[in-house]
Amino acid sequence: MEKDGLELEITELRLGLPGRDVAEKMMKKRGFTEMIMTSSGSNSDQCESGVVSSGGDVEKVNDSPAAKSQVVGWPPVCSYRRKNSCKETSTTKVGLGYVKVSMDGVPYLRKMDLGSSQGYDDLALALDKLFGFRGIGVALKDGDNCEYVTIYEDKDGDWMLAGDVPWGMFIESCKRLRIMKRSDATGFGLQPRGDE
Amino acid sequence: MNYFPEEVIEHIFDSIACHKDRNSISLVSKSWHKIERCSRRSVFIGNCYAINPERLIGRFPSLKSLTLKGKPHFADFNLVPHEWGGFVHPWIDALAKARVGLEELRLKRMVVSDESLELLSRSFPNFKSLVLVSCEGFTTDGLASIAANCRHLRELDLQENEIDDHRGQWLNCFPDTCTTLTSLNFACLKGETNLAALERLVARSPNLKSLKVNRAVPLDALTRLMTCAPQLVDLGVGSYENEPDPEAFAKLMAAIEKCTLLRSLSGFSEVAPRCLPAFYPICQNLISLNLSYAAEIQGNHLIKYIQFCKRLQRLWILDSIGDEGLEIVASSCKELQELRVFPSELHGEEDNNAAVTEVGLVAISAGCPKLHSILYFCKQMTNAALITVAKNCPNFIRFRLCILEPNKPDHVTSQSLDEGFGAIVQACKGLRRLSVSGLLTDQVFIYIGMYAEQLEMLSIAFAGDTDKGMLCVLNGCKKLRKLEIRDSPFGNAALLADVDKYETMRSLWMSSCEVTLGGCKRLARNAPWLNVEIINENENSRVERNEEDEREKVDRLYLYRTVVGTRKDAPPCVRIL
Repeated sequence: MEKDGLELEITELRLGLPGRDVAEKMMKKRGFTEMIMTSSGSNSDQCESGVVSSGGDVEKVNDSPAAKSQVVGWPPVCSYRRKNSCKETSTTKVGLGYVKVSMDGVPYLRKMDLGSSQGYDDLALALDKLFGFRGIGVALKDGDNCEYVTIYEDKDGDWMLAGDVPWGMFIESCKRLRIMKRSDATGFGLQPRGDE
Repeated sequence: MNYFPEEVIEHIFDSIACHKDRNSISLVSKSWHKIERCSRRSVFIGNCYAINPERLIGRFPSLKSLTLKGKPHFADFNLVPHEWGGFVHPWIDALAKARVGLEELRLKRMVVSDESLELLSRSFPNFKSLVLVSCEGFTTDGLASIAANCRHLRELDLQENEIDDHRGQWLNCFPDTCTTLTSLNFACLKGETNLAALERLVARSPNLKSLKVNRAVPLDALTRLMTCAPQLVDLGVGSYENEPDPEAFAKLMAAIEKCTLLRSLSGFSEVAPRCLPAFYPICQNLISLNLSYAAEIQGNHLIKYIQFCKRLQRLWILDSIGDEGLEIVASSCKELQELRVFPSELHGEEDNNAAVTEVGLVAISAGCPKLHSILYFCKQMTNAALITVAKNCPNFIRFRLCILEPNKPDHVTSQSLDEGFGAIVQACKGLRRLSVSGLLTDQVFIYIGMYAEQLEMLSIAFAGDTDKGMLCVLNGCKKLRKLEIRDSPFGNAALLADVDKYETMRSLWMSSCEVTLGGCKRLARNAPWLNVEIINENENSRVERNEEDEREKVDRLYLYRTVVGTRKDAPPCVRIL
């Protein structure tokens, strides 16, 4: 069961690539938050946030699409059926399920189904969509020039740079994803690109 | 009755099979209790922690058939940690040591190990039937022990289990002398299957009535299997991604034509749409059809087939069938008793155009007078529709409605769905199981408490306003056995109002509600015959006992009556108060 833990203190929220001004960044962030917070149902009296309902507090999940996909165990389809009947899993042979995706500066995690992407390009698009802004894709493709790097934790527990290995190998070993600021990555223990 | 000799009374009791009736008989008098318990062959234990194996064996020494259920229902939806419990090993161990003549074992949501299966296979010479539903913890090595050692095995039925497939040769482990199989279901195995071994096994099993293969059994193998087993009544098909060539298709159809006794069809995960027509020859005989894993087959292909299944009583399908498809089902399948419509898009962020709505549900209720059980995942609902459904189908025993978006109101009036569900419970006087969804206030629970007199199981999610809701249910539903609640604002006042109520129930589950640690502690103190379990997400985050805050809300609460006290096998993340 997932707790969308606050892994980072919400002191500085920085989204977006360098070159964007702060106001634009904040608007972007508000827009995303608003998507989560707005309720179009008739229960808008209460303050709601559409995050995972694992805490003791009751949080009515609103009907925003992003929030909908985050609720653990909902819709109530048993896990065997989930793994075996989703269209996504039938196109790949890997019964992967979802991996957690965290992004520096965003206080909650997301989950995505790697099996629904066909390759790194697809993954880039999916990640962009997930966090509501462009740029992660750039990070994946043109790593050296971007503020962010996309890394993943593999089966052995090591953090690897995404994009090195063939796609099939990647989705078999990827346990979780993290989009981190390049500036934080140095000294993090990543193997430099091109190292055999 | 006490004037008759015991043997006569026992003979009379033999004709009473229903557990509830037998339980009632055993309460009449001491002598009846004794006769009943010594002659009891089959025992059903709905919660494996309500009793222990030693007491079971002590009371029912002639036990032949045992059914055990482990994890709470919400474990199906990943709300219960894997290590929670429900281990079958102590049961098998105790039964073996007591030399019970076990012949049948049926397990649901339990943890089964290869060692357990090995022990099972060696300890009971007359063992005949193993049914495992939603279990985990074992591999095909365990299956190999069963195959090799159970000389009189008739039934091996594996439904929706998580089995580690070691790609071994477990099918080869059935000895050549094994000819007694009547039912073999290994649909949930992920790995490759030794086709030759399977074919030989089927060929030497003239009594085989039910065969459900896994995805690794291709079309030509299926054809051969059906050719040597035309007596099959129940068939589960593998997966065929490619369109079959005309010759293979013709051969399959010819084999199917010979299976005149076939009444039930399932499987079809990853099946090319054009394989379904091969089954046209037997469609008018079908009583049960499960196409709920057939994600690849579009609605129109499904309809083409189902419309000829005039005798269908049970249909499990995906919502890709659509409202129009359901309208056709309603006009074709007049014998329909049970319908399950599952969602085909679980994670879609876009609106799912294929999903079903209230239109399909109303059509089915109007067209199928014998309908008594429904599980319906839909994207929207209205009170008007539910009221119509209630009028059309007052015979519902099970009514489970899941509107995919939590808290969604009546999409026409924007009101809550209290009135709709109220109509259902008022009209369906025999309703035993109910799952509610959509926008719901305390009012729906007032209705449920007032009208749902036969209700035994209730599932609530994202519903209600205050403790009053839960109180109405606990006070009103006299036959309530299982109550499971998630993400609803019910707290200590409701939990503690009538502690004795829980002795009449099997279990209560509450997750992401308003109950606090203090409330649960008080409950545990006042009801020592309950196990009150607090399931925490992360055992590392627990503070020291003397620092803990009783006002802290409890993640997950699971309580159940038991006669054997606190269980000893709880993992660190489970705290029993």
